Amino acid sequence: MPDMSHLSAVLSPVSAARGLPNAHYTSPEMFAAERDSVLFANWAAIGFARDLSPGEAMPVEFAGLPLVAVRSREGVVKVFQNTCRHRGMILVDEKKPVGGVIRCPYHSWCYGLDGALVTTPHVGGPGQNTHPEIRRKDLGLIEIRSHVWRDIIFVNVSGTAPAFADYAAAAIARWGEFEGQALYPGGAESTFSFDVACNWKLAVENYCESYHLPWIHPGLNSYSRLEDHYNIEEPGAFSGQGTLVYRPMISEDGRRFPDFAGLSDKWDAGAEYIALYPNVLLGVHRDHAFAIVLQPRAQDRTLEQVAIYYASDVASDPDWAAMRAKNAEMWHAVFAEDLFVVEGMQKGRSGIFFDGGKFSPAMDGPTHCFHHWVATQVGGLALAAE
Amino acid sequence: MSVAAQTSQAGRMTDEADLDSGLMAAFDAGDGAALIALYGAAGDLHAARGDVDAACFFWTQAYVFALDLGDARARHLRTALIAQGREE
Repeated sequence: MPDMSHLSAVLSPVSAARGLPNAHYTSPEMFAAERDSVLFANWAAIGFARDLSPGEAMPVEFAGLPLVAVRSREGVVKVFQNTCRHRGMILVDEKKPVGGVIRCPYHSWCYGLDGALVTTPHVGGPGQNTHPEIRRKDLGLIEIRSHVWRDIIFVNVSGTAPAFADYAAAAIARWGEFEGQALYPGGAESTFSFDVACNWKLAVENYCESYHLPWIHPGLNSYSRLEDHYNIEEPGAFSGQGTLVYRPMISEDGRRFPDFAGLSDKWDAGAEYIALYPNVLLGVHRDHAFAIVLQPRAQDRTLEQVAIYYASDVASDPDWAAMRAKNAEMWHAVFAEDLFVVEGMQKGRSGIFFDGGKFSPAMDGPTHCFHHWVATQVGGLALAAE
Repeated sequence: MSVAAQTSQAGRMTDEADLDSGLMAAFDAGDGAALIALYGAAGDLHAARGDVDAACFFWTQAYVFALDLGDARARHLRTALIAQGREE
């Protein structure tokens, strides 16, 4: 267990705090510790339910843990460890339809889409598929606690987090006007990803703050200025920023994407962007939403998976394809503008004299809110080990 | 070895050779339906010859591929295997 004595500086109020030290971004040992205490102990995002049709299985490697997400023919999504109970073989190596069962490619042990072990061919000898010591009810797939919210597949690997509805209660309440409304996935143009040379936390920290807008997002800043943004902080849950001057896209022929139903006037020109701890970045507007799932690949590498959604089936209507493409291009460009800063911060974390950094109490509150939460999670595990 | 036994042995070799070549072709083509049919037929053939162990081996192979495809023949194959005490 890495030394956690430095966390007191992070846990201080923002005016006095230091950020998480370099090791939290550069150390494989710390990456492993955070994997358990931050990612596995909480509800973390691993992908999008939109990517799974009924009867399909999709492998997901989550911080090194091999998982497989499965959608039953009835539409229910479950997540299992992607490991055969026999000899540990990876069961599914690419997304595919699983007609009847998930069949291990090694000895063909077959599992139902509910994880139950259906057959163990020749386990008792050739042509004998049973054995007294092979009790199928004890050898089903290891199910990982999962939940789908806003089309995002969340998992709690440890099994110890509160129910998702309680875990995300504050976020669900904040965006209650959107809750329960269908999110229509845009087409292929509305999903994209970035393979980024940075620790996943840097992507969260950058997303939380609007402080960098004038320098990094000059186009966005031309109509959504720094002074039009406000901080959002829900300690222990999420943080981010909001804008008071969202402008819906209007096509050359005067069309706008349809709005979500029944929104209050807060959302006429408002939009909000929050990082739901630990690893999903969300954005909501009156006429579309997006999610960014951060897949930690290593202490210095993250896959950012982006998906855009709409309030109606314009999401799949060919007449709206050009507008959807333009919207996706806009967001792609905005997110791409952030890449050099998060990768630059990652490089800077190799600066041995960097002390975790100093927060602006006025501008960096949401970022410190995240650091503080991470420190409580990592520190909590360290305390338990003592 | 008697002629009958030799003929029977030669017949088995022809059957097995046909089965093997058919299986290889089906595996190469990724033809699950053909694998079910070939293994199932092989199982039936051995069952007819009274070789229960061989029959259950081939029926098991067919059963697995039927499960994999969600093929309706899985139910019949499972029934046959249960009847021989080879499946639950």
